[in-house]
Formats: sequence, C-alpha cells, structure tokens
Amino acid sequence: MSDKKGKQREEMQSLKILIIDDNEQITKMLTTFLELKEHKCTIANDGKEGLGLIKENEHDVVLLDLAMPEFDGYAVIKDLEENNLLRERKIIVFTASTITQEELDSLVQRGITSYILKPIDIDKLLSKIVETANS
Amino acid sequence: MAPIKHTLFLVSGVSSFIIFYMGIVNYLSATDKSNGMILLIFSILVAAGTLLSTVYISRSITKPIEKLAHNMREFSKTNKLSKKNPIKTNVQEIFELNENFETMGEQVEQTIEVQNEYVEKLKEMDRKKLEFSSMVSHELKTPLVPILGYVQMLQNKDLLGGLNEKQMEAVDEIHASTVKLQRLVGDILTTQKLDLGKLDFTVEKISFAELFNSIIKEFTPITNEKNINLELQFEGDIEIQSDSDRINQVFSNLIKNAIDFVPKNSGKITIGATDSDKSLECFVQDNGVGISEINQKDIFKKFYQIDTSTSRKRSGSGLGLAICKGIIEGLGGKIWVESIEGKGTKFYFTIPKKIVRSTIKKDSN
Ligand SMILES: Nc1ncnc2c1ncn2[C@@H]1O[C@H](COP(=O)(O)OP(=O)(O)O)[C@@H](O)[C@H]1O
Ligand SMILES: [Mg+2]
Repeated sequence: MSDKKGKQREEMQSLKILIIDDNEQITKMLTTFLELKEHKCTIANDGKEGLGLIKENEHDVVLLDLAMPEFDGYAVIKDLEENNLLRERKIIVFTASTITQEELDSLVQRGITSYILKPIDIDKLLSKIVETANS
Repeated sequence: MAPIKHTLFLVSGVSSFIIFYMGIVNYLSATDKSNGMILLIFSILVAAGTLLSTVYISRSITKPIEKLAHNMREFSKTNKLSKKNPIKTNVQEIFELNENFETMGEQVEQTIEVQNEYVEKLKEMDRKKLEFSSMVSHELKTPLVPILGYVQMLQNKDLLGGLNEKQMEAVDEIHASTVKLQRLVGDILTTQKLDLGKLDFTVEKISFAELFNSIIKEFTPITNEKNINLELQFEGDIEIQSDSDRINQVFSNLIKNAIDFVPKNSGKITIGATDSDKSLECFVQDNGVGISEINQKDIFKKFYQIDTSTSRKRSGSGLGLAICKGIIEGLGGKIWVESIEGKGTKFYFTIPKKIVRSTIKKDSN
C-alpha cells in the first residue's frame, strides 16, 4: 500500500507477526527487518510448532512457508481448515515453490488471506503484512 | 470392380446354358427321339451340376474372403486381432492368406505394445525433468530471499545505517546481479515448462484497453527516466478470451528489449493492436539498432543473443523471445519480426480471440 493512509498505518502500528519457515537464514533476515520497523516477531521453524502458535491466537499476522520437511504448510492449512480456524486467522502464504496460479487461487478460496512469492521485495512484503493486518 | 462370384456365375451360367442348349438342339434334330431324350436329360443334369458346384465353390471362396476382409477392417480400427470371427476354410490359398494376416497382426500388436511402453517411459522422464527443475528453482530461490532482503536493507540508510558512496555503488551492483539471477531462475523454469508443454494457461475474458493501461502504467516510469517516448496505438476496446498474465509477459519482454536497443534521448517505442477477424494482431515497434536478416531467424531460439557492443552491456538471458514464442504458440497465435538494421525493429504477434482448447498442450493425466 503506497497511499498516505497506508504509510501512516505502517509507521504507527506495531504488529505481532508469526513467521513459520524452516529456513533459519530467512527467518533471521525477516526478523531483523521487521524489528527495525518496530514490529514484534515470533519464529517457528517447523509446521507443528507453528500450528500450535497459530491456535494460541496471539499474533496479528502469520507468514507461512509451504515447503517444510514433514509437517508442511499444506498440513498446517488442512488442520486449521478442519478446526474452522483458517478463515479466523490472517495468514499470508509465503513460498518459493513452483505453484500455479490455480493452486494459489484455490488456497485463497479455502480461506488464507493472501500470498506472496519468494524471492520478495521486503518493502512489498511489509505493505502486504500491514494491509493484511488491517483487512 | 466386380465381386468374384459374379464372374464365376457368369462363366458357369454361360457354359450350363450352352450345354443345355446343345441338348435341346440335339433332341429336336434327333431322328431317334428316345436317344435324344437321354442326351437331353444328361445335358440338363450337367448344366444343373455346373450351377450347383459353382454355388458351392463360390461360397467356399467368397465367404472366408469376406470374413477375412471384415477381420482386417476391424484390425485396422482397433489394432487388435479379433478372436470372435475365426476363419474355417479348406481352400489352401485362403488358409495361407489368413495365416499370414494373423502373423502380421501379431507382430503389429507386439510393436505397438513396445511403442506404448516407450511413450510411457518418455512421459515419466518428462515428469522427472520438470520435478527436477522445479526443485532446482525452489532451492535457488530460497537463498535469494535473505540475499535480496539484506541488500535492500543496506540500500535504505534508515535501517542499517548509511553507507558511503562507494559502498552504496557496490551494494547496488549486488542488487542488480541478484535481480538478474532471480529472473534467470524464473525464465529457465518457464522455458522448461514450455518445452514439456506444461505451462498452464488461465483462460478468462480480458479487455485489451485495461491490459494496455496496466502495461503503459508499468513502463512509463522507466521510459520517462530514459527519455524514451512510449506510445500506444489503440482505440476503443477489444474483449477476448485468453490469458492476460501471459500476454502481459509477452509485451513486457518485447518492451524491455526495445528499451535496451533504442538510441539515447531520441528513443521511441510504439505498442498497439488491430482487430483482424478471428484474432488480434499486436505489435511492439522501436527505432533502435535493428536486427540483421541473418539474425532474425535465430533470435527466437533459446539462449540466442546477438553479440554486439550494445548487447554486451545488457543483462538478458537470451530466453525472453523464446518464452514469447512459446506463450504465443501456446495461445494459438504466431510471432514474427520485421526489421531494418539501423532503422528499427517491429515485432508482431497474433492472438486468437478464443483459445482453441486443443492448441493448449496440457498433460492429460
Ligand atoms: N528490439 C530489439 N532490437 C534489436 N535487437 C533485439 C531486439 N529484441 C531482441 N533483440 C536481439 O535478440 C536477442 C534475443 O532476445 P531475448 O530472447 O529477449 O534475449 P535477451 O533480451 O535476454 O538477450 C537479444 O539478445 C538481441 O540481440
Ligand atoms: Mg529480453
């Protein structure tokens, strides 16, 4: 969001962000960036742990990687769906996988809030996070 | 062409008639009537016998041949020998004919079976290839995330502290190369998918006015910065059923190329489309360096780049036009180029207003 209102919100709000990704360099980079922007980050390096944290519902936005060993992002989505929580939480799917537009659309249809493809422009990611938190 | 039985009946009919006729003539002209009668009855018997044996011969030849012809027709349709309709014959030639046909049929069946196995193996290999390049692309993109992230943080002096001019230049170079690498990874995967016919197209109603709007909006900042005159030749609107993201990608690739080749400060790029019955003819024209006739044939090939001083400074991969060609052909259209060296280049491509489903190569499983 590049309009004035979006910019203001971006600067004012401090969001609680949950990052679920098995790649520690990615989670570290994102934490560095988002904390410089005055947001608070929680990290889960696997899907199981992430799912537990999503259920506790203490975060404004969740960044969810799809490709993770064993309990992956799809498994997280499926579990949330079965517990009718998928539409209740603000989840941004965040993936480097070769995923088709159709698959992404179907994930949105099932109830994820948004998606962004890796590699990303961190400024765009931040706008998306703020936009999703306020949606 | 006449069936064999007609010939048989004609020959036997004529000969029985001649025999019968000779019997009658003999009887009428005979002085000894009882002798004539015997000969007449004899000629009637011979004539009838000829006819009867003709019927028998004709049946024993034509019936199995008709059956064989039927089996052959079935075989050419199904490529499988049918066991339903076995041929019984005591005519040796027909027996041999049928045996040869069955041997040939079995061989064809075997060959087809082997071929099908190969086709399955090839499909499997295609799947593995795509799986592999998808995996490679995932593995390459993942480390690009932190690289790009930190570079972007370094470029923003409010985040990790300001850099001096030389350091900033270095970081900008890293950024440019990383973006190039990122594009290359995407392009390679797209090309691989095109090769294997696995690029998926989403067909929806698209408005060309909207499409051109977003393209112009996307490129105006870049062309303004480089003092290039970007012009749209298109009035009103045309709506078609096609894939707007892919068409956008084609225009983008062509415009990006044009931007690189137009002269500094007097560059001009014109894009547009005209309605031509069942399809749209689109173009991207520039007043750049042009492409020689020899090179025009090759530029659509993968990784082909013309080696000139201008092109050496560019950041392309040589995949842009190959992807354009793949997409346009996938959508059922054609792409070609007209150019005069030193004067400029005009790329044309057509897009059918409705995608014919069969032109989209998609895996059937
Ligand atoms: N508008 C143009 N004017 C002159 N040459 C061009 C133009 N577009 C493409 N070419 C030539 O065709 C080659 C292949 O283009 P492309 O497939 O897009 O690869 P890339 O742009 O990555 O080099 C380019 O390297 C360039 O030499
Ligand atoms: Mg190019």
